[in-house]
Amino acid sequence: MTTLLLVEDDARIREALHLAMADEGYHVLEAATGEAALERLAQDGHEPDVVLLDLMLPGMDGLEVCARIRERGDLPIIMVTARTGPNEVIAGLEAGADDYVTKPVDAGELGARIRALLRRVRTGDPDVPPVVEFGDLTVRVTEGRVLRGGEEIALTKTEFRLLCALALARGAVVTREQLLERVWEYGYFGDTRLLDVHVRRLRRKIEPDPGQPTHVVTVRGVGYRAGTP
Amino acid sequence: MSLVSRLPLRARVMAWFSLVSLVVAGALAVATWHLSTGYMLGQRERSAIAQANGNARLVEAQLRRNPDGLAELMTGLGAEVESAVLLVDDGDWISGGNRVDPLRLPAAFLDTVRGGQGAHQRTVLDGVPVLAVGLPLPDQSATYVEVSPMRELDRTFRFLSWLLVAGAVVSALAGALLGRWAATHALRPLRRVTAAAAEAARGDLAVRLPATGDPDLVPLAEAFNDTAERLQQRVARDTRFAGDVSHELRSPLTTMLNAMAVLYRRREELPAGSRQAVELLDTDLRRFRRMVDDLLEISRPDQDRSTFELVDLAGLVLAVTEHHAALSPEVLDVAAHPWITGDRRRLERVVVNLVDNATRHGKGLVRLGITSRDGRARIEVDDAGSGVPAPDRERVFERFSRGSPADREATDSGAGLGLALVTQHVRGHDGRAWVEERPGGGARFVVELPEVAE
Repeated sequence: MTTLLLVEDDARIREALHLAMADEGYHVLEAATGEAALERLAQDGHEPDVVLLDLMLPGMDGLEVCARIRERGDLPIIMVTARTGPNEVIAGLEAGADDYVTKPVDAGELGARIRALLRRVRTGDPDVPPVVEFGDLTVRVTEGRVLRGGEEIALTKTEFRLLCALALARGAVVTREQLLERVWEYGYFGDTRLLDVHVRRLRRKIEPDPGQPTHVVTVRGVGYRAGTP
Repeated sequence: MSLVSRLPLRARVMAWFSLVSLVVAGALAVATWHLSTGYMLGQRERSAIAQANGNARLVEAQLRRNPDGLAELMTGLGAEVESAVLLVDDGDWISGGNRVDPLRLPAAFLDTVRGGQGAHQRTVLDGVPVLAVGLPLPDQSATYVEVSPMRELDRTFRFLSWLLVAGAVVSALAGALLGRWAATHALRPLRRVTAAAAEAARGDLAVRLPATGDPDLVPLAEAFNDTAERLQQRVARDTRFAGDVSHELRSPLTTMLNAMAVLYRRREELPAGSRQAVELLDTDLRRFRRMVDDLLEISRPDQDRSTFELVDLAGLVLAVTEHHAALSPEVLDVAAHPWITGDRRRLERVVVNLVDNATRHGKGLVRLGITSRDGRARIEVDDAGSGVPAPDRERVFERFSRGSPADREATDSGAGLGLALVTQHVRGHDGRAWVEERPGGGARFVVELPEVAE
């Protein structure tokens, strides 16, 4: 059973989301503040699979909580934005969120986002090789690991899926729509900021010089492709 | 007056300028005419009279001394003054030079001279203006008359009159030209105000008139800018209010949506009446949610261009069609592949809203076209409805304007913000959206966006 950590200060929303998500088959843990959420994660025991994080929290700011969770590891985070400022989404994604939903959130939409986030790369697919070379990187697709010269690079699940989507195209251009669909399972209305920030994050981790990317190359107006450094 | 006041301002200014210069030039011409003709005539008369006096004395002397040489003298005098010279003596007459019948001279003039008084008169003989000077020779009981033609003077007068008339006409024309220039010049700031007002009417309330140093225009510019500023603030306030309200609505809406999701899932377990109520609530809650979403989107002052990127418009429309249930690929009519810069999400929203509008209010989509002309890319959405009547074509893009009451009955009716959002997003991309008649009936919604030069 998938466990969801719900970080939300409004008790009524928390209660309704808890009810609805439990109804969808999730095990729901609750936290009313950022501090409580971090405390909960620090405890041994039942580690959640996904964090649903409201960015507007009393006390410790949602962005701060997001960054702290990211420091600990690759626990998937879906942030809930209020869509107040234009840069709120970008700030949240830069802080390490994997995806975002906008209030008002409903259980059906949230369930779809969580399922997309937790779905592994198509491991059963015979077309997908278990290992792909990507420049000086070795992508172990089935294991979900990336190595450079035997040393593992820590990527979040979303960053890894993005890398795989590019690596499996073997240098062919992958459009933004295709990436949004393959990585986040968005149809249309996919927000390209989601993609752009993740590409930035990925470049920071895998490029020798993120200012001069050689692995993830931008194809202006179309999308991205895997480079051959 | 009514005719004049119906003329455009520029024509009136031109007419007035022209009229005033015509009057001034005309008055000057008349004065010039009178002064110069009077002076020249006077000169001519004086010299003619002086000459006639001299000649009369010669004739008198000749008569006294030797009347037989008279004819010869008369011929000589006539040749000298280039005029007819007559000597009338009790009904008989002798003439020299051009022969002129004295009876054709005005009778009153001859009578005055015969009565013993010198006289002169201008008259016309055989179509030639002449000056007749008559002097009595009382000692010889005769009358001496000299008739000299004034062809030169007449020609001069005719030339002068042409010159003055032409001068008056030219100055009237010059006045009209000056009036036109002055009106154009004076109206230039007004045209700027007109352009600014038109822009404001189109929805760009950020338009301002530039500062001007002209003290006559400063109040106008200030009044206009002040009005625009206040209007803009008010619109911003209203928009912010709508945004704040929707913002506040989101928390209870989240609770309701999720509580409803639980109920809806279990609707089969409910008795029939409750189930119906739950289904009803669920439908309207979704609609409510769409409204709040649309309100939030429309109340966001989205001037942010950081998300703008190069977009293949046809590709974007294609991507939308692939995911939109109401769209079949047959309606697609991609005649061009224009590239534009814009926010992909907002552009997708524009396409979806137009397609939804065609489905909801236009009895279905019949064509979704991408064209390009004169550096502007176009999305054309044609529907099968009865078209939008001309008076409603602007109104349909306003917030909460909706179709007929019959449309409103439909359960899936939108919030009435779909087309308003289209306008807002398109304007945010420096484009234009409008509705026109589709060839063959129905409505055609057109979105025009500036294309990126290759």
